[in-house]
Amino acid sequence: MARVNTVLGPIAVKELGFTSIHEHIGYGMPGSELDTKWWKSPEQRYEETIPKLRKFREYGGETFVDATGICNGRDLDYYKSISEKTGVHLIASTGFVGGDTALKFFADASVEYLADQFIHELTVGIGRSGAKAGIIKVGVSRGFKMLPLDLKIYRAAARASRETGAPILTHLAVDVHPAIEIFQDEGLPLSRVLFGHADDGVSQGKVDEQAILSAGGRVGFDTFGYDLELPDPPFWGRPRQERLEHFLRYIREGHIDQVLAAADANCSPLGWPGVKGHTINYIFETLIPALKENGIDDAMIRKVFVDNVADFFTPPAS
Amino acid sequence: MSNTVTTVLGPVDAADLGVVAVHEALLSVVPGAQYAFDIEIDRADVFDTLRAQLHEFKAAGGGTVVDRTGMFHGRDVRLLENLSRATGVHIVASTGMGPEENLGGYFLTPQTNPPTPWPAERFAELFAAEVTEGMVVPRVERRGGAGLIVTDATESGATPTDESLLRGAARAAATTGVALSFGAPADPAAALEIALAEGVPASRVIVAGLDRADAAGTALAVAERGAYVALDHVGWDAASGHLDDDARAGLVAELIAAGHLDRILLSSSSTGAAFGHAPAPATLTTVLTDFVPRLRARGITDEQIERILVANPQAVLAGQEN
Repeated sequence: MARVNTVLGPIAVKELGFTSIHEHIGYGMPGSELDTKWWKSPEQRYEETIPKLRKFREYGGETFVDATGICNGRDLDYYKSISEKTGVHLIASTGFVGGDTALKFFADASVEYLADQFIHELTVGIGRSGAKAGIIKVGVSRGFKMLPLDLKIYRAAARASRETGAPILTHLAVDVHPAIEIFQDEGLPLSRVLFGHADDGVSQGKVDEQAILSAGGRVGFDTFGYDLELPDPPFWGRPRQERLEHFLRYIREGHIDQVLAAADANCSPLGWPGVKGHTINYIFETLIPALKENGIDDAMIRKVFVDNVADFFTPPAS
Repeated sequence: MSNTVTTVLGPVDAADLGVVAVHEALLSVVPGAQYAFDIEIDRADVFDTLRAQLHEFKAAGGGTVVDRTGMFHGRDVRLLENLSRATGVHIVASTGMGPEENLGGYFLTPQTNPPTPWPAERFAELFAAEVTEGMVVPRVERRGGAGLIVTDATESGATPTDESLLRGAARAAATTGVALSFGAPADPAAALEIALAEGVPASRVIVAGLDRADAAGTALAVAERGAYVALDHVGWDAASGHLDDDARAGLVAELIAAGHLDRILLSSSSTGAAFGHAPAPATLTTVLTDFVPRLRARGITDEQIERILVANPQAVLAGQEN
């Protein structure tokens, strides 16, 4: 039976249940920890985080995939305490959100070293926490173009995925051709890769969806809730209805096997103000009712949030 | 003009600093190396290693170490406080960052559209707050104030962000009254003009790395401009791209002959405990044990040596006439 590492230890993929595939307990750009304007007391961080996750559980959510990479405020001991106290399975990432979030030590490292770092975190543990990563994060630096460091991280991730069976999720689905080339070159089936943020506002027109789908990749509708209708939307926001229709089009055109969905919300942001009014529970409070209104039934919802996730975390037969 | 210097244990009368090693690194960690799977930073080991080095420095006649790592290269303020208490060596800690490659994405590609790197003014505020409100233990607390503001430019030439860092550091030095130390390998003289244009007096500026092999001639020009000349790779050899100690001693003599005894600083850029990079080839005691005899052999007097090792660093750190 396939298993996946949560921060509290491995569980069977069959136990993942309803999963949000791309979320953050708290994300901060490297260096933001030096700027006191963002500091929060531990009390405040727990106060902002725990109620959201308890509500997620009450709604039927079971698993939270944290997509915060190395150097971005990833904090395994904190995650362990949160998971234990709320009952939400928490899966941590190894890897980097993008080349521009990898600090100098890693920016200067070789592909082989980066692969060793990821494999160690997936199989031995992260720092002294004893917790292992369950997924590999990679991404495109700001500017919508893969930089040499991004490419190096993608290649290392492909090797770590082949070695460990852990899947890969990306920050941004733009400039996808070099990414697909690297994964194919490394012999990684594209079904191991979720090309994330294909639904965000700033990426529209820059994502070659056909290339991802025909290569067998998975497409992430994982910024649900960053709606331009919010009082203070972020620059990557998008009109609510437009995003919903984009997603519905995928499902109606027969691509339901290749989509995953999430809200990419920060429970308690670390180095930025966050987006007021946006939480992981948008999935239950807004998205699922909207899907149902549009004729998407429970079986299809289960497919996206349960079955596809289990499939994604199941290593390919070797 | 102040008569005190801010150490990690609070203000100390400048006259009590003794021999000062102005450009050293105690705990030095390449940004990110703290997360490397194969690097173990054992805090107790680090403490023992640094304590032994500080004891040696003291036994050789040293009084004060200035940790020039800035705020994002392994600085651990509480560790430095405890080391100072345990050894009786004064430790001055620094704020600042650079070159650009050492910075986190928070400063280079912020979550704004477009991701514009930080301008000088924001760096100035960040560094000044570390002087006036205290140095940060990230996301936990502020401790005592920084006693020096440091930055460095990229080896091959200053990037626009390097220039913002230099301007910000100089501005913070001007407003807070602490000294500025910068390195600008490609063009130290031009960088000095930028710093002075931001309002920091030359008598509060240390130009680092002027014993690089390719900095020949620059030391004299910097001293003539009234800034301090740091020959801060004592013990490093020619293979490292620096003057060897013999040529370095020659440069000291040359500066003295030109009337700049009051602008010379000596240090070793040692790395007491280095992670993610090779340790420096010199130690905290190299200046006192190896280099001072060389200076004497060149006819430099004990009085002149004392001026270089004691009075000059006191003056620049405290902002006194010299």
